[in-house]
Amino acid sequence: MGYLLNAEGFDSTIRELSKKYRLYAPVLKKGEGRFLDTDVVRYDFVTEASQIELDAKSDYAFKEFLTPLSETLFYFTENQVREADLDPKPVIIFLRSCDIHAAKRMDQMYLANGSAKDPFYQRRRDLVHFALIGCDHSYPNCFCASMGSNVTQDGYLFSIERAGEGYQSDVKDDGLQELFAANAVSQKDVVPAHVSENDVKVTVPETIPLAEIIKNSLWDEYDSRCIACGRCNFACPTCTCFTMQDIYYTDNGKVGERRRVGASCMVDGYSTVAGGGQYRRKHGERMRFKALHKIYDFRKRFGYDMCVGCGRCDDICPEYISFSNIINKVNTAAGQILSAEKEAE
Amino acid sequence: MMAENPYLPFSSEILDVIKHTGKEYTFRMHFTGDVKPGQFFEVSVPKFGEAPISVSGIGEDFVDLTIRRVGRVTNEVFEHYKGQSLLMRGPYGNGFDVDLYREGETVVVAGGTGVSPVRGVINALSQMPNASDKYVIVGFRSPDDLLFRDDLARWDGLLNLIQTVDSGPEGYTGRVGLVTKFIADLPLKDPAAAKAVVVGPPPMMKFTIIELQKKGFKDENITVSYERKMCCGLGKCGHCRVNDTYICLDGPVFNYTEGRLLMD
Amino acid sequence: MEFELNTNVRNQDININKIKKNAFRYSKVRGETASRIRIPGGVIDAASLGKVVEIAQKYGKGVIDITNRQGIEIPGIPMEDIDKVNQEVQSIIDALDINQEEKGAGYPSSGTRNVEACPGARLCPFGCYDTTDLARKMEKNIFPSDRHVKIAFTGCSNDCAKVRMADFGIIGMTEPQYDPQRCISCGQCVDYCARRSVSALKLVNFKVVRDETRCVGCGVCVHYCPTRAWTRSKEHYFRIVLMGRTGKKNPRLAEDFVRWADEESVLKMVKNVYAYIEEYIDPNAVEHKEHIGYMVDRTGFQELFKWIMKDVHLPEKAEVATSINWGGHHYDRTNDIK
Repeated sequence: MGYLLNAEGFDSTIRELSKKYRLYAPVLKKGEGRFLDTDVVRYDFVTEASQIELDAKSDYAFKEFLTPLSETLFYFTENQVREADLDPKPVIIFLRSCDIHAAKRMDQMYLANGSAKDPFYQRRRDLVHFALIGCDHSYPNCFCASMGSNVTQDGYLFSIERAGEGYQSDVKDDGLQELFAANAVSQKDVVPAHVSENDVKVTVPETIPLAEIIKNSLWDEYDSRCIACGRCNFACPTCTCFTMQDIYYTDNGKVGERRRVGASCMVDGYSTVAGGGQYRRKHGERMRFKALHKIYDFRKRFGYDMCVGCGRCDDICPEYISFSNIINKVNTAAGQILSAEKEAE
Repeated sequence: MMAENPYLPFSSEILDVIKHTGKEYTFRMHFTGDVKPGQFFEVSVPKFGEAPISVSGIGEDFVDLTIRRVGRVTNEVFEHYKGQSLLMRGPYGNGFDVDLYREGETVVVAGGTGVSPVRGVINALSQMPNASDKYVIVGFRSPDDLLFRDDLARWDGLLNLIQTVDSGPEGYTGRVGLVTKFIADLPLKDPAAAKAVVVGPPPMMKFTIIELQKKGFKDENITVSYERKMCCGLGKCGHCRVNDTYICLDGPVFNYTEGRLLMD
Repeated sequence: MEFELNTNVRNQDININKIKKNAFRYSKVRGETASRIRIPGGVIDAASLGKVVEIAQKYGKGVIDITNRQGIEIPGIPMEDIDKVNQEVQSIIDALDINQEEKGAGYPSSGTRNVEACPGARLCPFGCYDTTDLARKMEKNIFPSDRHVKIAFTGCSNDCAKVRMADFGIIGMTEPQYDPQRCISCGQCVDYCARRSVSALKLVNFKVVRDETRCVGCGVCVHYCPTRAWTRSKEHYFRIVLMGRTGKKNPRLAEDFVRWADEESVLKMVKNVYAYIEEYIDPNAVEHKEHIGYMVDRTGFQELFKWIMKDVHLPEKAEVATSINWGGHHYDRTNDIK
């Protein structure tokens, strides 16, 4: 069932929802950008409709609830190990179509790569419901249509998007119909807005001649262009890597904790083994490692591409490196290699 | 508590500590589950961290973990004695299939701590009735870096052991030279059918395989084991991934026809 | 003819003191002057710059001099055109909102120099405040004045504006805000702080610890943090450095007076020192010009402190120097190169 809400109706719906759920949404953080008086949009818990940023693509992804940048797993006391607690209140994450597609990739990695399910991920995932933010236009650097993540038809409790002065919602969850009906101006069939074409378009090559692409000179420019800061990974809604850390408290060495923090295959130390050995020292090699994971390696393992085309990596790169352009470069190079091979035959 | 948490380590008693060099000890840990040589455990020292350690030996009620003291976690492990316990989780990975080497000529080439993951393989080879066609080339940086001295002495009589050091001090009478130096002269009857196991630092593995190929070995008869950074051992953390392969899940042991496709 | 007689030079009776105060330069070419345009903060609108071009073509020699302190001088203007040029610069004075006593009469003084600023946060990724805006506020605060005072604003501790050579140097600071929950211990802030700043950061237990006494508030950590674990303080802070100068006797760099000061205090302190100057300037100073620093050399720092702090209420975290020793070479004592 769909509903039209005015601002007041949306306000009270959110207030009601926050009684039962923790609401996790994109929030405009004033002045918290990299430069003076610049802002950042990142996820945080909200209790009021006015806190939710519906008009911008978030700079950082919703994944920070599922895989926090820094999460304590265990506490250690003298002879005991205790799992860290987690607030059991269910969570509604407000996110866009590309992000719901990204959640599937997160699940794939944490719950279905290898026989073990990651229990720390699972217990968070079990709490999560989605609210789809409709996209009535494409944002800069978006290429969701190319990656097939522009449309989401189910998997959400309700959708929300601006409609004139108010809002409209497609409510899928039966348990929420009453709440929306009570706060709505009227009922209306609502199909969440989605974009069907982006300015940025990519072509992911179906076949990648891996050995040749790895050796291809297209990666070389990133040796010097990329500064290996890892922003592309931290902002990416499908990057899942983490590193474990153990610490003991400085004022009591007998007590400590084990935590995991976000990791980036672009940042120094990602591949360093005991004794100091390191793979992929060149930044171009790291770029290739990341890029091929997003558009080839993951697909080879799981049958679909990892990248969802949200373009956050391009939005955030301080060196103006475009990942969508890398995809197209790989496509061109793969095409050239394959046709050269064909000719040789 | 979560029902089943694969990140939760179990406690295991240290049955013995065998000191090879000042920096390399073997911890014999109580363990009775299924385990294969070449698999690994995450040794878990609360407040210090975890380190992936390959199984260097297997017995009725124990696994041997040969540990090199190189950092925060292993430093702390070295503070432990026989009779105490360590936390660990595993075993992880696929390990070696020792039965592959029962028949026919077999060459194991191992460098430095690379000897640990194949120690179980070498032990198995040494106990095979036809061990005269089993060859083991082990290389260490210097005589001081020798691992498994007792084993080396024992193996020497049971199979064909070539033990070498990269460089020795003045007056050193043992073999000197990289492991690759000794491959060409192996008295193999049928290199095209012979099997090989290669484990060690990346450059050593690369050049050893080149030598084996020159000698006539087929890629499908070569088995390798790869070392990569690992945080979870469960296919989640991502650090050990190479292409579409997770070393912790799909490896660390690979037939070289697969291994050669892994490009970091 | 062996020489050309300049028939334009007529008998002139000109009050040089008056034209100097009116922002016209005394030139080595007799009868010629240069019109000095104030551009506080170094930012001028394109229309005003167009006007400068027009004046240079109409009254000058078609050239424009960009000055060391971000002003403009239009040289080659015949002195008899001063009144006309004053009419022409009115639109520039209006556009740049320069305090003026009488419309059409040009600039009311020239003693206090153009207020300088680096591009600051309007343009520069490292800028800790809008330097142009604060330079303009300062201009409104202290101009016109005949006192020879140099004030300069720079966005961060890089000091691209070289404010340590001015009487008042204002250096932008941010107090880095750290959210350990967003920190993944990548170490980039630690590394860049060491390489680009003062090594005020270190990792303890995989989280960053900032040495607050060493931190200069440059914001390099914020700039390089990939996760927004580091962000800028909402408050803009300033380091105030005093009494740098060039010149013949004792050129020297300005020394730190306050760190973690606020904008209001910056404006107030500079204004206060104008009163100190009135009290202590050498009555026999040549052309009534004297660097403030020489007055401080006579009165001692404590006297300056008394005047500069009048009615100033610094933020709690501000730290104030209780004594300052300036360095530099004293050429009035020795001219040796050693």
